[in-house]
Amino acid sequence: MEHRETAIEVKNVCINYRIMKNVTVRHNLFQRHSREETFEAVKNVSFTVEKGGILGVIGKNGSGKSTLLRAIAGVFSPNSGSIDLKGHTVSLMALGVGFKENLTGRDNISLSGMLLGFREDQIQDKMQDIIDFAEIGDFIDRPVRTYSSGMHSKLAFAITAMLETDIMLVDEVLSVGDERFKKKSLGKMKELITDRNRTVIIVSHNIDTLRSLCDEVMWIHDGELKEMGRPAEVLEHYVEFMNH
Amino acid sequence: MLNSLIMIIPTLTGLFMHNYFCHGRMSALRRTGLLFVYGVLVSCSMSVIARTRGIKGIGIAYMTLSHKIEFTLLGCVMSFGMALGLCIVIEKNVTIKKFKMYLSRFFCDIRKYFKYAVKSAKADLRSEVANAYLDWLWWLIEPFCMMLIYTLIFGVVFNASEPFFPIFIFSGLAMWTFFSRGMNISVNIVRSNKSIISKIYLPKFILYFARMLVNGFKMLVSFAIVVIMLIVFKVPVSLKVLYILPVMLVFFLFTFGMGSILMHFGVYVNDLSYIVGIVLSMLMYFTGTFYAVGKRIPAPFGELLEQFNPVAYCIASMRNAVLYNTSPQVDLLIMWGLVSIMLSAIGVYTIYRNENAYVKVI
Repeated sequence: MEHRETAIEVKNVCINYRIMKNVTVRHNLFQRHSREETFEAVKNVSFTVEKGGILGVIGKNGSGKSTLLRAIAGVFSPNSGSIDLKGHTVSLMALGVGFKENLTGRDNISLSGMLLGFREDQIQDKMQDIIDFAEIGDFIDRPVRTYSSGMHSKLAFAITAMLETDIMLVDEVLSVGDERFKKKSLGKMKELITDRNRTVIIVSHNIDTLRSLCDEVMWIHDGELKEMGRPAEVLEHYVEFMNH
Repeated sequence: MLNSLIMIIPTLTGLFMHNYFCHGRMSALRRTGLLFVYGVLVSCSMSVIARTRGIKGIGIAYMTLSHKIEFTLLGCVMSFGMALGLCIVIEKNVTIKKFKMYLSRFFCDIRKYFKYAVKSAKADLRSEVANAYLDWLWWLIEPFCMMLIYTLIFGVVFNASEPFFPIFIFSGLAMWTFFSRGMNISVNIVRSNKSIISKIYLPKFILYFARMLVNGFKMLVSFAIVVIMLIVFKVPVSLKVLYILPVMLVFFLFTFGMGSILMHFGVYVNDLSYIVGIVLSMLMYFTGTFYAVGKRIPAPFGELLEQFNPVAYCIASMRNAVLYNTSPQVDLLIMWGLVSIMLSAIGVYTIYRNENAYVKVI
């Protein structure tokens, strides 16, 4: 295989959750020394993804997959270790997107686009594509709080799918909406994922999807990197392990 | 006895900031030593300042109360600077490089996200009026009606008349609303933007900054009415009106600083909004939105409240500049400017250090 530059370099990353109950003033004043527990969601994980590579991540619920993905997206930084994206833009695609409920769909598109690092004119160019793809009609100029959950996720999908970033992190969303939209979104997704310039990390529980899409699969178990390698092998071990 | 507080408060501020900069990891011995060091530093710099003002030694006995407080505040600002300097010299984990890094990161972020903040503020404003019958007219009607109510109650019922009373109330109210809205919003701002910050990184103070722009715009609308009222009431206006620019800058910085600090604690403390509400309503009466604090509250305290409550000070200076052709006390203005910068620095630093954990908590 030809040598390609790396797009994502994750080195010895640990992520802790301080299990801190939301305190109230009363707690703060009268129970000074409440003990803080920490929970290690990701323990010392290192890997690299080549530019254009497609990495699948698998593991049981609560094993730290989504946490890792959010750290790569920059939502929070790791407690130790480093994540280097080599200057690529990144977007995280997960169920339920960050909309401001009171703003119209159109405003939300521009705001999300700006946060993803696009210039205003770039967003304006893509605006019509997004609106067409989302198929929500006149609702685009109404506040997002009036949307049905289907429209909500269709718009969210359209934004991340049309505003193409160098690195895409996909958390369990390969398709949304009704049957027809599902087919369309899955098609778009496949098109995006297989683009050789785009680096993709997919978190999924669907073994068939991972087998057909990915170049490489990573298995995370209880926050540790258990195995990483060719999809067929890793997935086989995983299935074996889970059926035990 | 009380006089010694002039020294003690700045010393403690210095120690507190030092402790804060090196993340609270200090042994008791070191702390005692530092307390001593800061005590010496503070008293040295105080006497230097007193000397440059032409007094030999600090004649605490001859100072008026307001001078004493001014000195204490000045001491706090200085000890903040000293703590920063001393930390850079003696603490290993605090370096000039780090300080520069935070500073450049802050300006970088402001430049990068400024457009976002403006856009978000615009969209918020638009959505606020999109479904209202009188849409943007509400920005005029609401403060105007409030002004009428307060003028009626305080002007007629309590007989608290000042020259140009309606403008007096209206302008004060505009600024007070800006401040109190800012505080109320900042406490909950991280929580209420959960959906965005759990998806994407943005410096969290940008969220608050965007809301401040929204409130600032509403304040501007109110000030447009003030201008109209100035013409209608035929208020003599001189060039001293220009003083409101620095006053507003200080006011904006102070609101930003306080807000960013509150914003941090609001994430962790669920019921902070109640406390903020209580403190704000108390502060409202001490700020002189509807009366002149300096004149109405008996002798030393009225003036003290006006000068050493930054909101009251800004409002009073603004009124003096606009309505009564008097310039503000420049030394106090500079002082409050420094305090505001200090507060903003603390707030932004705190947010940078902790914002990673916000998503995990809410």
